[in-house]
Amino acid sequence: MLGRHGNNLFWMARYLERSENMARRIQAVLHHSLSREDEGRDEWAEIITNSELAHVFDEKYDGFSMINAINFLLRERQNLNSVITLITKSRQNGRAVRTSLTQEVWMSLNETWISSEALLRRPVNIHDLPIVLEEIIKGSSLFRGALYGTMLHNDIFNFLRLGTYVERADNTLRTVYSKYHRLLPTANVIGVSESQSQWEVMLRSLSAWRSLNWLKKGRIDPFSVADFLIFDQRMPRSINFCYYEVVSNLTDLARLYKKEYKSLDLARTLCCQLKKDRAKNIHKIDLKYFITEHIIKNNELGSIIADDFNLV
Amino acid sequence: MFDEMLSDQSHQGREPYRKLLSWLENQNLKKLSKKSKMAEEFFRRVGITFNVYGNEDGEERLIPFDLIPRILALDEWQKLEKGIIQRVVAINAFLRDVYNSQEIIRAGIIPEELIYPNPAFLPQMCGFIPPGGVYTHVVGVDIIRTGIDEFFVLEDNARVPSGVSYMMENRSTMLHMFPELFTEHNVRPISNYPKELFNSLISCVKTNIPDPNVVVLTPGIFNSAYYEHSFLADEMGAELVQGTDMEISNGEVMIRTTSGTEKVDVIYRRVDDDFIDPLSFNSKSMLGTPGLFDAYRKGNIVLANAPGAGIADDKAIYSYMPEIIKFYTGETPLLDNIPTWKCSDAESLRYVLENLRELVVKEVHGSGGYGMLIGPAASKRELSSFARKLRSNPSKYVAQPTLALSTVPILTKSGLAPRHVDFRPFVLVSPDTIKVTPGGLTRVALKKGSLIVNSSQGGGTKDTWVLGV
Repeated sequence: MLGRHGNNLFWMARYLERSENMARRIQAVLHHSLSREDEGRDEWAEIITNSELAHVFDEKYDGFSMINAINFLLRERQNLNSVITLITKSRQNGRAVRTSLTQEVWMSLNETWISSEALLRRPVNIHDLPIVLEEIIKGSSLFRGALYGTMLHNDIFNFLRLGTYVERADNTLRTVYSKYHRLLPTANVIGVSESQSQWEVMLRSLSAWRSLNWLKKGRIDPFSVADFLIFDQRMPRSINFCYYEVVSNLTDLARLYKKEYKSLDLARTLCCQLKKDRAKNIHKIDLKYFITEHIIKNNELGSIIADDFNLV
Repeated sequence: MFDEMLSDQSHQGREPYRKLLSWLENQNLKKLSKKSKMAEEFFRRVGITFNVYGNEDGEERLIPFDLIPRILALDEWQKLEKGIIQRVVAINAFLRDVYNSQEIIRAGIIPEELIYPNPAFLPQMCGFIPPGGVYTHVVGVDIIRTGIDEFFVLEDNARVPSGVSYMMENRSTMLHMFPELFTEHNVRPISNYPKELFNSLISCVKTNIPDPNVVVLTPGIFNSAYYEHSFLADEMGAELVQGTDMEISNGEVMIRTTSGTEKVDVIYRRVDDDFIDPLSFNSKSMLGTPGLFDAYRKGNIVLANAPGAGIADDKAIYSYMPEIIKFYTGETPLLDNIPTWKCSDAESLRYVLENLRELVVKEVHGSGGYGMLIGPAASKRELSSFARKLRSNPSKYVAQPTLALSTVPILTKSGLAPRHVDFRPFVLVSPDTIKVTPGGLTRVALKKGSLIVNSSQGGGTKDTWVLGV
């Protein structure tokens, strides 16, 4: 496989994963905001600030409102991380490697793009929003289904999965980071109901709200949230799950190409570290430092993968 | 005006179309239109699109597909096939000659001022014979019809002819939508094209290379024919590469893969000569691979088509094609050229200016239907502004009579309506055989009365059937 194609596959999956995460995030915050007088102003502001594109927002929109924020995050082409920009980039990468994809995988991606372009051609209004978001997330699911059901599980598949899990780990890490203070033991004392709704937004945006509630029979506390999102091996968006998948896909590649790779060493180290940390009492972990470290390492992992496999 | 379906004195339609006509009588217009929409929807979902240049947001468009097939009887096809093969033999002989001993120039048949200063002539190719002796592995010969027995070659495409993916996709769409038509007609299959392309490409590789590695070279996803590049790579099982994926190492062409580098033996290139190698050609090109041309001259790689093949399909050379055919084959041309006035010639220029209203004027180096004048369809103002352009730079233009292109009906909202068509069959050249795929791309002008069939100008396509016995 061409190194450039490996790169296209990796980024096609990354961008699509990122767009899905963004759509889920909007969905979660919307859910939270609708029942609030201030339209969840802080939550929206937080996403926009974290995107590091606040200046674009200020330039393009006259003042803050929920609907402005949503349009910025969904369909603003100057926002490099808006859903439509991400889907377009994913599809562009996919189009460059369409010979490596099955017809079904390519068509699910192409159709997701066509329908997103149609849904987001005009500014969205609030009553269409739930359906628009559902459609976008459904597109990602269809893609994943076609991927598992029709593609050979070979190196093409491995690069796609690597893109997905490196991106997903990054997303979960950043989501936890933005709310780490709510997960500290003191948060429990400060205000249970406020923290509760914060966890809910975070968990919903990682589609983890119902599953954790079910696992904990409704008794959610900051430790269980942190433990679930970071360590739980069953949870498909936990850091541990993502690392495990990265190791497994890199192991496949190392076996196929009969080489040893730095990226595999690093991924294994990260997995081991996580195992050790889990054995510790979660109270003893400096959460902020821990998450920051992992964001940096995961980022490094992405560039080492690119070096190892000539992804250009 | 000759209509390929209906121009028949018996009023039953022409013979090859009779079964189709009786089938059409039993069809419901609404249902057909619905099928037509379905086909379009399918094309969009699969991404069978082309990019329009000069369009800011890089919009991708569909080439409209008309579901009424264009049908050629076996004897009509055989006549075309013979003429095309004769022409392609001559084109290859001409290229070999013009880049080597240049006998045709010495014989005084083609003036040297048409060759040396011509931008399509690449001096870098002189004294070199490509692997297998083949210059044009793939040729598209554009043919128009004006009557029952009147076929003319409009132009030869010897550089990087495109459109073959539409030939293939149109057929598979028809098979999918109207399987019953194919049980009633004995339509010759075209599905082997990619396999035959592959075989003809590797037939030029040195015999001591066991499993030659073929790649398709594309300028990238923003090229107007990108879909076709990916389609052909896919069908041939070849890697779809860009210039930046390749490097030259010890005179061999290598591609950079996820597990190291890999040697390449054949490049089916879909980029123009200028963009192959910045060291030998356009030094500003970002698309090329430095050193590729040197590797080619060492005989280490097959490039299809050969660089410099464009000198054979140049519009100025076109008018000499009958002489070229006679010179190299000793035969009279089986397919006619369209009479062409070279405006560089003062006498011709005067004639063209006097009769502008009746002529079609084209740029010698133009393509895609851009920058041409169709006299009968032009306004007074357009005529006079074009006349000024002609006078100020006559050698840039050639002129031809406006021919009454044949029509084939298309499906419109109000039923069948005749529209002008042209035809591009595809020819594959190997060292020892030349094959013409029985079919081709029929382009159709969708606007009533229009003679411009180019997709960039709103033309559409049809499936083309060659009937067996």
